[in-house]
Amino acid sequence: MKRRKKNRTPKEDVQLDTSLARAISSDLDSNLAFIKETLGNGSDLVTRRMTLNKKAKASGAVIYIDGLVDKNTVQDFILEVVMVEVPSEDLSISPIYEAIKDSTLPIGEIYELKQMDELILRLLSGETIVVLDNETRAIAASTKGWKDRGVQETTSESVIRGPKEAFTETLRTNTAMVRRKIKDPKLRIDAKKVGKMTVTDVSVIYIQDTAEESVVKEVHARLDNIDIDGVLESGYLEEFIEDPPYSPFPKVYYTERPDAIAAGLLEGKVAIITDGTPNVLLVPALFVNFMQSSEDYYQRYDIGTFIRLLRLFAFCIALFMPSLYIAITTFHQEMIPAPLLINLAAQREGVPFPAFVEAVLMEATFEILREAGVRLPKAVGSAVSIVGALVLGESAVQAGLVSPAMVIVVAITAISSFVFPSYNMAIPVRMLRFSLMILAATFGLYGIILGLIALVLHLCSLQSFGVPYMSPLAPLVPKDQKDVLVRFPHWGLLSRPSSTSHQNEKRTSGRKGNGE
Amino acid sequence: MNNNFSFLPISKRLFITLACLLFLTGCWNSRELDDLGIAVALGIDKTQEGNYSLVVQMINPSEIATEAPSTRPPVSLYQSEGETIFEALRKMTLSAPRKIYMSQLRLLIIGPGLAEEGILPTLDLLYRDPEFRTSFLVTVAKDIEVEALLSVITAYEKIPANKIMDSIIAAESHWAATHGVYIDQIVSDIRSPGKSPILTGILLEGSEEAGNNISNVENVDSPARIHVDHLSVFKGDRMLGWLNEDESKGYNYILGNVKSTLINFPCEEKESGKIGIEILRTNAAIDATKTGSNPSITVTLEAEGNVGEIQCDLDLTKPETLQEIADKAEEDIKTKISAAITAAKEQYQTDIFGFGNTIARKNPTYWKEVEKNWDEHFKETVVKVEVKLDIRRKGTIVQPVQKKG
Repeated sequence: MKRRKKNRTPKEDVQLDTSLARAISSDLDSNLAFIKETLGNGSDLVTRRMTLNKKAKASGAVIYIDGLVDKNTVQDFILEVVMVEVPSEDLSISPIYEAIKDSTLPIGEIYELKQMDELILRLLSGETIVVLDNETRAIAASTKGWKDRGVQETTSESVIRGPKEAFTETLRTNTAMVRRKIKDPKLRIDAKKVGKMTVTDVSVIYIQDTAEESVVKEVHARLDNIDIDGVLESGYLEEFIEDPPYSPFPKVYYTERPDAIAAGLLEGKVAIITDGTPNVLLVPALFVNFMQSSEDYYQRYDIGTFIRLLRLFAFCIALFMPSLYIAITTFHQEMIPAPLLINLAAQREGVPFPAFVEAVLMEATFEILREAGVRLPKAVGSAVSIVGALVLGESAVQAGLVSPAMVIVVAITAISSFVFPSYNMAIPVRMLRFSLMILAATFGLYGIILGLIALVLHLCSLQSFGVPYMSPLAPLVPKDQKDVLVRFPHWGLLSRPSSTSHQNEKRTSGRKGNGE
Repeated sequence: MNNNFSFLPISKRLFITLACLLFLTGCWNSRELDDLGIAVALGIDKTQEGNYSLVVQMINPSEIATEAPSTRPPVSLYQSEGETIFEALRKMTLSAPRKIYMSQLRLLIIGPGLAEEGILPTLDLLYRDPEFRTSFLVTVAKDIEVEALLSVITAYEKIPANKIMDSIIAAESHWAATHGVYIDQIVSDIRSPGKSPILTGILLEGSEEAGNNISNVENVDSPARIHVDHLSVFKGDRMLGWLNEDESKGYNYILGNVKSTLINFPCEEKESGKIGIEILRTNAAIDATKTGSNPSITVTLEAEGNVGEIQCDLDLTKPETLQEIADKAEEDIKTKISAAITAAKEQYQTDIFGFGNTIARKNPTYWKEVEKNWDEHFKETVVKVEVKLDIRRKGTIVQPVQKKG
């Protein structure tokens, strides 16, 4: 489903090479020669020159790039029209340009072109250009259509209950998926182009009067400020627009789930869709958002709450478990109950490394295995798991290199770090774990507490598009706690989170009349 | 920032803060688990020359946590002597392979010689050193050298110190004729003028030689066994003697320490059959008043009981029978309490029950008068005992099995 903007030329932020900035001449042949020369007479460039109307002695050309256009559309609605209908048109009523543009061409999206640079840009975006002899205006008809992946099931954020569809690489499909979920007329989809050479289409989506106007403006301003040759993935944009660039924590949320984006829009957030990637950005992103999964809202609220608390617990384990193990076993043995201490001490008899080296060794091994598992071709994937089980398991223990307790610690840590619904929140946890381990090995629990204090201070100092990163926990917003660590039932989520939306606050008036 | 720091640039302030963090970290030290000599029991006694003699029971972790036990003992004993306990502890590294790690200490055994001489100076290091936690029991070896006691290898529990601690705790909650005392309690009892401390005794049953050998645990019936004994009475920090079983139980009744115990008495004067009552949930209250010039103490004990065993022909369906049983049980408890009080008053002449502390709370002005020589006044104190026993349950059968008809 395509939404067509009638005769609306979007503001072009990106200009092609200034040498192309010239008017379209009235001479068809020179125009064609110029286009061919500009594109190096590329093999995928199709220029079809034709006589349009013998009586009026009008000739013209249809130009498009093979592979970027939908051939059926070009064949049925452009070539067919200009070669069959236009010749029979009575050109005495209106001149040929108006005849084609206003009455015969059955295409929704049509633009009038006067400048050569815009013509080239539209041509390269997959539009079909009609140029006429003795005419300084050209027509661009939207005929975009290429082979894409189609809407498929999400691979990185799977759920048990909830929609399975994921965004694709095609921008228009993605905007349509959002539009299909939110039929509010105030849903705004603003177009932008970013990247001097890639000229990547970027859409900024928000719901007017629900999203904060200042945030929308800020998003536009930051996107306009980006100066880069190419944008191949939303990660390029993320690094340009995120608030303080030197922090391991993600300040922009990304997802490939249209329902997660729709939920964000309903909370007053702003989504940024980049053409060519299924990962859609959502701002402002708060720390707690990364702990929440869209499935929390689809399953019942009680299990939703339980799972959220579990995730928080897993977050702490993934961050602190190895360092706590190091600190307690090398500094604070008095904290361990006697039977456990005896057990741990027995396991460590004969292990040649200090606990810290042992932990770093195992954690590093795990990170290597994990990276190998991601990069490996599927066919050799099983090799990694076999080798991994050897390195991280019984064999390492039997070889006397590590103690069994350490294997368990590393395993629990590893599993816990997979619990986050957002992959990019697991990244700072993975990295900070090592610094905490160093602190634990030098100062014990004292070092861990120092690290924790520094971490909390850092998190509280962050902002995402003007919203404090830790809100609504710090600053504490009691009203918003209904959807942070716990999830209230949907009929109890009366208002939008005030950290991201101050207007149009009411979401529901609660549960009424069920024949109680 | 409005403090004394503010004249410094931020980088220097940060540097100073970090430097403080590094050097003001208090008392800590990094040690790997396999560098620790984990001590579970510590025995202290005095030699004839007046030096302290220390015995430490150190565990051998790989022997305890292993799935394939070897013939090596699970614990090892190390000994040393020194003019102070501290010196003796450090000297122990001459014989022990690792530095002794005291945080997991379960048990302190005081030798009989030292107990009679006075234990307070000994406790200072154990109470002061940060490596010692306060979670170990203090006991007295009864009629045996500490070293011999700690040399015994125990059958069921691999770590003898754990065995002793578990025995004390189990006996305390199911038999009630003993009472585990932790270090903070003994220190505060010794320092309190209104209460004299007691400690649990530990003794050895069987031959000393047999205990010190792994073959001790190769027998189903070990030839040498560690046994938890009754309470020893202290005056100040010196041991005076021992209470017997009934007196120990009476002591625990008064202090409300009884979690569960049992009472035996014959059904009728001349019959051979006996009745066993299980006591649960006792609640003791000590009240002090002053009658004339002497203090007067009332001990009220409320207890709940179950019929545990009946060897004679009684009709338990009748409430009167149960009442009769309860009366007899109450009488038995009273006898034991009186025995304990008599022993304290006449034999040892010291207030092990903390009646003085009760008086100090109820009547502080009077306490000021008697505090100086409280033990003299204690001898004159009248103690009234009230026991209320409620028999609640009769088990899974109602009538005794030998009941006819």
